Amino acid sequence: MDIFLQQLVNGLTIGSLYALVALGYTMVYGVMKLINFAHGDLVALSAFVGLTVYTQIFGEGVSSLIAIIVVFVFTAAIIAFVGVLLERLAYRPLRTAPRLSAVVSALGAGLVIQNTIMLMWGPNMKIFPSNLFPQTLWDFGGVVMTFTQVMILGLSSVLMVALFLFINKTKMGTAIRATAIDQDAAKLMGINVNRIIMVIFIIGSALGAVAGLFIGIYYRGITFDMGWLYGLNAFVAAIMGGIGNIPGAMLGGLMLGLFNAMITGYISTQWAETFTFILLIVILIFRPTGILGEKVAEKV
Amino acid sequence: MRNMLPKVAASVAFCSALLGSAYAADVVKIGVQAPITGEYANEGQSIDNGVRLVIDQLNSKGGVLGKKLEVVTCDDEGAAQKAAICARKLVNEGVMAVIGSYTSGATQAAQTTYYRNKVLQTSDGTSDALTKEKYWTFFRNSFRNADQAEFTGKYLVNEKKYKRIVVLSDYSDYSLGLANSVVKAIKDAGGIVIYQGKVKEKSQNFSAILTKVKSMNPDAIYFSGYYTDGGLLRAQQAQLGINADFIGGDSNDNPDFMKLAGASASGTLMINFPTPDFLPYDTAKQFLKDYSAKYGVPVSSVWAIMNVDGLRAILYAAEQTKSFDTKTISTYLHTLKDFPGITGPVSFRDDGERINTKFNVYEVQADNSYKIINN
Repeated sequence: MDIFLQQLVNGLTIGSLYALVALGYTMVYGVMKLINFAHGDLVALSAFVGLTVYTQIFGEGVSSLIAIIVVFVFTAAIIAFVGVLLERLAYRPLRTAPRLSAVVSALGAGLVIQNTIMLMWGPNMKIFPSNLFPQTLWDFGGVVMTFTQVMILGLSSVLMVALFLFINKTKMGTAIRATAIDQDAAKLMGINVNRIIMVIFIIGSALGAVAGLFIGIYYRGITFDMGWLYGLNAFVAAIMGGIGNIPGAMLGGLMLGLFNAMITGYISTQWAETFTFILLIVILIFRPTGILGEKVAEKV
Repeated sequence: MRNMLPKVAASVAFCSALLGSAYAADVVKIGVQAPITGEYANEGQSIDNGVRLVIDQLNSKGGVLGKKLEVVTCDDEGAAQKAAICARKLVNEGVMAVIGSYTSGATQAAQTTYYRNKVLQTSDGTSDALTKEKYWTFFRNSFRNADQAEFTGKYLVNEKKYKRIVVLSDYSDYSLGLANSVVKAIKDAGGIVIYQGKVKEKSQNFSAILTKVKSMNPDAIYFSGYYTDGGLLRAQQAQLGINADFIGGDSNDNPDFMKLAGASASGTLMINFPTPDFLPYDTAKQFLKDYSAKYGVPVSSVWAIMNVDGLRAILYAAEQTKSFDTKTISTYLHTLKDFPGITGPVSFRDDGERINTKFNVYEVQADNSYKIINN
C-alpha cells in the first residue's frame, strides 16, 4: 500500500509540473487557435534564467524565504516579458495568415530560444545548486515527501485555483473567455483583443516559468534542449484534457503524471510511453476533443 | 605538372630506399598509428607524445639491444579508411611494431595488414571484435567491457557480500551490454540479482522505477549508464529513503555526478579503471612526471598510457629474447606474466587479450573526493 501511495506522490509531483506547462499551451490555443510550440523552450529558458538570477543576486548556498520569492518573481517576470515579445514578433504579424504559417513560426521561435540558451549558457549540462530549498524530507509511514515536492504540489495547486478563479470570477477573465469564443464579437463588445492576448501570454509564460524553476530545483541538471521533453509531455496532457480548456489541462497533466508513474512502477519503463500514447488514442477515439473539451467545441 | 609527379615519387622512393638501407643496420623503427588530427586529436597526440617520450628515454640510455629506436607516426584521423592507408605506409616504412590506434574501428581496419606483414600491433580499443581473429600480431593493452563486468560481479558478491542486488541500465548498447554482463557475472559468483531494470536516458524523473526498487528492499543498486542519469538516480534514491549502496560503472566517473547527486553523493561507490592520477605504481608516477615535464601538460587520459604500456611490453620482450623478430617477441609476450606496466601488471592471453587488468573501486567522500577502497 505504501508503495502505491509513493507512486501516487511521484505521479502527482511530475503531473502538476506537466499541468503548469500544459496551461500555457491550452490558454494560447483557446484564444488564438495556435499551438505555441515555443512554450516548452520558454520553460527551459526559465530554468537557466532562474539559475543566473539566483547565483548572481544571492550566490550559491543562500537559502531563505526572500531568496525563493525573489528568484520566482524575478524569473517569472522575465519569462513573461519574453513570452509577450514572442507573441509580438512571431505571432502577431501572422494573425491573419493561414494557420500553418503560425505553426511554422512557432517551431522556428522555439529553435531560436533553444539556440539562444545554448549560446548564452553553453551546450553542457548546468547544475542547479541544491540549497535554494531546504533538503528536508518527511516520512509518513513509508511514504516519503521532500520539501521540494510539497512546494511543487502546494504552489501549483494554489496557482491553478487562482487561475481558475481569475478566469471565471473576474471581469478580465470574462473578457478572456469571450475572446476565446469569438474574437470578432468580443471586439464589437469593446474588448481590446490585443490586450487579452498579451495577458494570456503573460500568464501562460509565467506559469511555465514556475514549472521551469521547479524542474531545475527538483531535478538539478538542466540542458538547453530539455524544453522539448517537457513541452511534448505537456502538449499531450493539454490534448488529453481537451485543448483550449483550462481545467482540462490541469486534469490532463495530473493524469499523465500519474499514469506514467503507475505504468513504470507496476509494468515497466519500456512500456510507459507506449501505454501513455495508447491512452491518448483511446481518449481521442471516444472523446475527440479531449476529456473536458466537448462542451466548448459544441458551443460554436 | 602531371609529368612531374612520377619523377618526384621516384626520387623520393630512391632517397628513402637509400636512407632505409643506410639506417637499417642500427635503427629499429616503431610505428605510431593514431588520430593526430580530428575529433580525437587530443588522445592521438598523447599517444604519440607518450611513445616518443619512452623512446627518447631509451635512446639516451643507448637504445634496445644496442640499436637506436626511431618513431614513425601516421595520422589515421580515427577513421577506418585512413587507417588502412596508414597500415600500408607503416609497413612500407619497415616498422617492427605499431602502437595504436585509439579507436577500435581504426585499429580493426589496419589489423589484417599488420598480421600479413608480421608487424606487431598494440591498441587500447575495447571492442570485443578486436581479438576475435586471434592474430598472433595483435595485443590489446586496455580492458574489455566483459572484464569490467567480471570484476564488478565478483566484487559485489565476494567482497561486499551483497545479498539483494538491483542492476539498472539505460537503453544504449554500451550500458545494456555492460548491465547484462554484470548480471551474468553476479550469478556466476553465486550472487542474486533481484531485479534488472532500464531507465530512459535523460528523462530526469526516476522516482517511479526507484519506488518499485524500494519495494524489493535491495541492499545494493548497480547502475551501468552515464553520470548524467547516475547522479540523479543517486539523489532520488536518497530522497525516497532507499537504504542501499549505490555502485556506478565506469561512465559514472565524472565530477558532474557529484554535483547532481548533491549531499547524497558521499558514500557512492564507483568502479573504473584507475585514472592517471590514481595509478599507484612508481613507474606510473615517474612517467606522469616526465610527461608533464617534457610537454608542459598532463597526459590526456589513461588510454594513452595503456598504449605506452603496450610499447614497453614489446620492447621488454625484445630485450628478454635478445631479438627483434616479431614472431619470437609475440611468443614471449603470450607467456609474459605480470610485467610491471604503468597501468598495472601486464599479461596477455593467447588471443592477445590483456588479462589481470586492474580495476579500482572508489568511494566518494563527504568532500566529493575519491578514496580507493579495494586492496
